[in-house]
Amino acid sequence: MRIRPETLPVGALTCGLAAAAFAVGFLVLAFRLKVVQVDGAADATDGLRRQSIRRVQTEGVRGRILDCRGRVLADNRPSVSIVLNAGVFRQATWDETAAAITNALAAVADVVGRPSPLTERDIRRHLRQNLARPLTVWRDVDADALARFEEQGFRLPGHSADGTRPSGFAVAETFERTYPNGALAGHLLGYVGRDRVESPAGDEGFNFQEMELRGRSGVEFYYDGYLRGGAGESRLTVDARGFASAQAETVVPAQQGPDLTLTIDTAIQAACEAELKGLKGACVVLDAQSGAVRAMASAPSFNPDDFVPVLRRARYEAVSTDPAKPLLNRAVGGSYAPGSTFKPVTALAGLAAGHAADERHDCFGAFNYGGMTIRCARRWGHGSLDVREALRDSCNPFFCSLGVAIGTNALVAAARAFGLGAKTGIDFPVDYAGVVPDATWKMETYHEKWYPGDVAQMSIGQGMLLVTPLQMARVAGALGTGALVTPHLKADLPPVRTPLPFDAGRLAVVREGLRMVVGRSGTGKRGAEGVAAEVIGKTGTAEVGARGRRRKNTWFIAYAKGDQSSRPEAQGTEVAVALVVENGASGGETAAPKVCAILKAIFNGPDDGSGSREEVAHAP
Amino acid sequence: MLRKLVHFNWVQFVAMVALIALGTVAIWSAGSAREGAAFHAMWAVNLRTATLGLALYFAIAFTDYRKYLTLVAPPAYLAALVLLVAVLAVGSEIYGGRRWLWFFQPSEIAKLCVIAFFAELFGSAEPLFKGRTGWRGFVVAALVVGLPCALILAEPDLGTALTLVPAVLVMMLAAGVWRKGLAVILLVVAILGAALLGAVYEAEKPGVEPETRAKIVRCLPLRPHQVKRVKTFLFPASDPMGAGYNLRQAMISIGSGGFAGKGLGKGETNHLKYLPPSVSMNDFIFCVWAEETGFVGSLALLALFAALCLSGTWIAYVAADGRGRLLALGVSTLVFAHVYVNIAMSVGLVPITGLPLPFISSGRTFLLTVMAGLGLTQSIALHREIQT
Repeated sequence: MRIRPETLPVGALTCGLAAAAFAVGFLVLAFRLKVVQVDGAADATDGLRRQSIRRVQTEGVRGRILDCRGRVLADNRPSVSIVLNAGVFRQATWDETAAAITNALAAVADVVGRPSPLTERDIRRHLRQNLARPLTVWRDVDADALARFEEQGFRLPGHSADGTRPSGFAVAETFERTYPNGALAGHLLGYVGRDRVESPAGDEGFNFQEMELRGRSGVEFYYDGYLRGGAGESRLTVDARGFASAQAETVVPAQQGPDLTLTIDTAIQAACEAELKGLKGACVVLDAQSGAVRAMASAPSFNPDDFVPVLRRARYEAVSTDPAKPLLNRAVGGSYAPGSTFKPVTALAGLAAGHAADERHDCFGAFNYGGMTIRCARRWGHGSLDVREALRDSCNPFFCSLGVAIGTNALVAAARAFGLGAKTGIDFPVDYAGVVPDATWKMETYHEKWYPGDVAQMSIGQGMLLVTPLQMARVAGALGTGALVTPHLKADLPPVRTPLPFDAGRLAVVREGLRMVVGRSGTGKRGAEGVAAEVIGKTGTAEVGARGRRRKNTWFIAYAKGDQSSRPEAQGTEVAVALVVENGASGGETAAPKVCAILKAIFNGPDDGSGSREEVAHAP
Repeated sequence: MLRKLVHFNWVQFVAMVALIALGTVAIWSAGSAREGAAFHAMWAVNLRTATLGLALYFAIAFTDYRKYLTLVAPPAYLAALVLLVAVLAVGSEIYGGRRWLWFFQPSEIAKLCVIAFFAELFGSAEPLFKGRTGWRGFVVAALVVGLPCALILAEPDLGTALTLVPAVLVMMLAAGVWRKGLAVILLVVAILGAALLGAVYEAEKPGVEPETRAKIVRCLPLRPHQVKRVKTFLFPASDPMGAGYNLRQAMISIGSGGFAGKGLGKGETNHLKYLPPSVSMNDFIFCVWAEETGFVGSLALLALFAALCLSGTWIAYVAADGRGRLLALGVSTLVFAHVYVNIAMSVGLVPITGLPLPFISSGRTFLLTVMAGLGLTQSIALHREIQT
């Protein structure tokens, strides 16, 4: 027989109550779970992403630098680095993790054949700041080391055999800058270093940023923003301790930066550098019509490839403390007295001030003014000469007296009209303005009065007048074309020309004189010998340094226009050249032949050039 | 035997087996996120323990509880008290608490012993003492549950002690123990609880001077970590990297599971160790399950637990005698209290308490205890007819 539950003494109602209470409890949980898992799913997913997803800004490959004919001046080469995945060596504490990494590095160093460049501090900094990212240990390893690494890979610490987890060490491919021509145009191109990827404006909040190449000097620096690749983005998932838990996934691929085409012509640049080899000096070749810089050389130079992959302190110090100052770009940053190359400016200023072209002065071999004597190159004097002959013979007394006659202001105005004493406006980080002195400037700088002797000095390009070779190339171009150009290096920039404020007839007189300079009896006769173009030019020998340690900076500036005798592609080409050699003998002896060689490289055909040279050699 | 099988409660059995299966999966996933072969093998341990548990379950279920309860319950209760004292004396200390005696937790076994002893005292037809429905009964009941609770609290293990309270209260209600007094005491407890919450709220709400806060906290009968947990419950966003970290990660874990979940073994907060590995296999294992199976999986789990608990109340209802009814109610309420508190704390409904989720959390003593309790309940179902 059965006893009905109702007949039990107690508790039937409690069973129902308990069941009801349980049911209510489960409904409450179900409702709450609906709120958390269905309504709150998006927020929770967001919270999870925020704590576990890291945004990495990745490096875009830098654009190349090309010359005007598309020849590569700066390129990227694939480079292999050996990187370490810190997560593989994780231990319970950071200290133990750092120690495990140090031990692993020592083991791999034997295989790679290079000691680990990382210090304990580097490792700890990586653990603190870049934990989720691979740590680059050996940058730019060679093929032998790579082969040994690949061969011994399975024996290395933290190796993952099945590939489901990352190995302790891995090979990473990056790009390094390379300069295929070595030191050619080193000053012009500049060099690069590494920095964090720069965030595009308005989009920050990256957890990690790769190091990207950044221009440190030269064109690499000036056009850094143009050359730099478009940064990409990848995402990493990290665990609660901050270690990466999987391979990074690319969200936005990094873009290669655009190529930069320069106005530089590698052949002319090479010719300039060949002429300056072993010397201290600089040379600039401009397209006289457009201002395009065809060559810009400075010697001694440096090889930007030596600064890749990283500029080491020792190397930098060796270069930067060299007394020859190889890091100084003399073409735009060297300050030189122009010497006699300034005389055409004085001549033009004189003509503009009303002195007639055939006005004659007598030269007795020296110019005396206010107790000061300026000697002429020809001790016994040139005798009577007009402005053309004075230019041809580079007669000091003629220009001194002309300068004194027209006065400081007219001379300064003419110098400024030729762009001296001001930045040239070139698209280059260094653009030294030089000095065109006047009374105010002298008072401010030296707290001295302006003496008439200062005008005399300045009218022959001495004294306090300072210019750069680039400025003198502009002067040469302006003398040839009648317009001052703004030099530029980027190929597609529009030419900027400022007509000289001088009458064309007067300019023609000066040009006539300059043509006589390179003529048979001129001081710069060796500047145009055998050049298949119309050439005008001016020598300069500027004396610098204290008495007793006098040195001569020797100049030659030239303007040349291709004619029928030039090689076909150079016909009609107009170039302006300025070349300075420190510690030379004289402008006509030292600088002029070098400019001549450069002009031949530009205008003469390959056979033509060597032929002319022989002809010169055999000439009596 | 055949007659017994007719009364076999399949709902309870199937729900239990299904929960063992789900639990093994959850333990596998939580264990795979940790380093060390021992953790990777925890699911197998769980399965072995469950096999042992099933043997225990059937042995208890097919034995008539009425034959031995009188004989076994009182000494079992005394033994539990002795073990609880022993664990305080020689137990191994883990995380600042003494809960382990060799390989098991006496407090888990004690729960079942208390329930059994209480059922024996208050459910038998021949009362052991007079006036059990009066205030004397209440005093006895309070002592029976109070002694072990005090010992468990001393471990300290507030959560485990507290789960006994609802079980005993339901049993007292069913046994008709001093209802008026029970009502008054429940009211007083509710008011005290509310007052405690209010006090912590007043102490921890923003803008309270540190001195004032310290003064209030000093007056409360709570340990510092308990104050922190209540504070986290009241202000979940107050300290997301400190006291509120576990709750925040639990909510992220459960919430990011969404409707359908991320797939078994693919829980991110678990595998990326945002959900602290020290709790992901035990107190917070619901998060692992909820993240990987989503709302659908959570509801399925709730449905299985509901089936388990409600089948218990049904067995209590059809029980042959008062002891059976009290036993079934006690075990069901104990299971319910664990399930409710564990899940509710994971979703921020109650303050965080270290309580396992039956069948899902990894833990051998508790699994065996719950399966023994369910076996007892099944025995009540099987032996619902009075033997002549």
